[in-house]
Amino acid sequence: MNLDDTLNIIKISIKENLEINNISANITDNTSIIGNDSPIDSMGLIQLCLTLEEKAEELNFEFDWTTETAMSKSKSMYRSVKTLSEEFLLQYNQQQ
Amino acid sequence: MIIVTGASRGIGKSICKRLISQGQKVIGISRDISKLDFESYSCDISSYEEIKLTAQKIRKKGCSITALINAAGIASMNLALLTPKQTTQNLIQTNLIGTIYCCQIFAPLIIQNKSGSIVNFSSIAVPIGLKGESVYVASKSGIEGFSKSFAREMSSFNIRVNCIAPGPIETDLTKGVDKKLINKLISKQIIPIQFETSDISDLVEILLDNKFKSISGQVITPGGI
Repeated sequence: MNLDDTLNIIKISIKENLEINNISANITDNTSIIGNDSPIDSMGLIQLCLTLEEKAEELNFEFDWTTETAMSKSKSMYRSVKTLSEEFLLQYNQQQ
Repeated sequence: MIIVTGASRGIGKSICKRLISQGQKVIGISRDISKLDFESYSCDISSYEEIKLTAQKIRKKGCSITALINAAGIASMNLALLTPKQTTQNLIQTNLIGTIYCCQIFAPLIIQNKSGSIVNFSSIAVPIGLKGESVYVASKSGIEGFSKSFAREMSSFNIRVNCIAPGPIETDLTKGVDKKLINKLISKQIIPIQFETSDISDLVEILLDNKFKSISGQVITPGGI
């Protein structure tokens, strides 16, 4: 699995979760996942994390979405689609 | 399925019995599960890692979790100034942090079910501000505050969160407590009788019942205060 794969997983997961709430948005690598610019609200974020947990399980690894820096503005993995994809890939690689 | 912590003793045990007698499927969680004759996991709720591991086992079974009853807890009567450091840590770690951990780790399982109910346990000692239980009261007050806030966070997921704050129910936890103190506590209730574990199970039933979907973020004291 490479970064393109995880970017794809994250984008599809976000779109799926937005569709449930009838929200359409253009999701790019730079789309914010937290903060005012994000198309996802806090509950949507939890839903996204649960979806990613399931995807990780399918890929035989455990995705920890409650890291100490999870909600930090400067270090958070939720800063953008790309940073979340990188973290998802990092945790995947660490557990192989 | 319904997860019940503190399943081997006192209120938790009584709740398990009641739910099972009604045909509900229960997953018991306790440090000692040797006497439990239904699906159960040995787990110390003061340990985040142990709860996480238990949740993984439950997830792998593919069970649909509809409710969480956080009945596990410990008590210790001491004046605050005479409470040993370790006792203070144990009370906060098990009662407050353990309850928070269980909510954090098990709630996602309920979210997947699209609706559900979480019941946490406080104590009548909180509104009374019971002398000699400062640290215990601190741990239980924390549970009330957490539950109210958590109820708001969970409402979007159709999950209700409530607290039951019992008076002195006859369990192992209150065995060593002076009868005079128990009577004094009971006298502060609007309905001044000593309730039993079955009365608490009645309340739990109500809080789990989707018929009562309007009840969330509440602290219910049996007998009133």
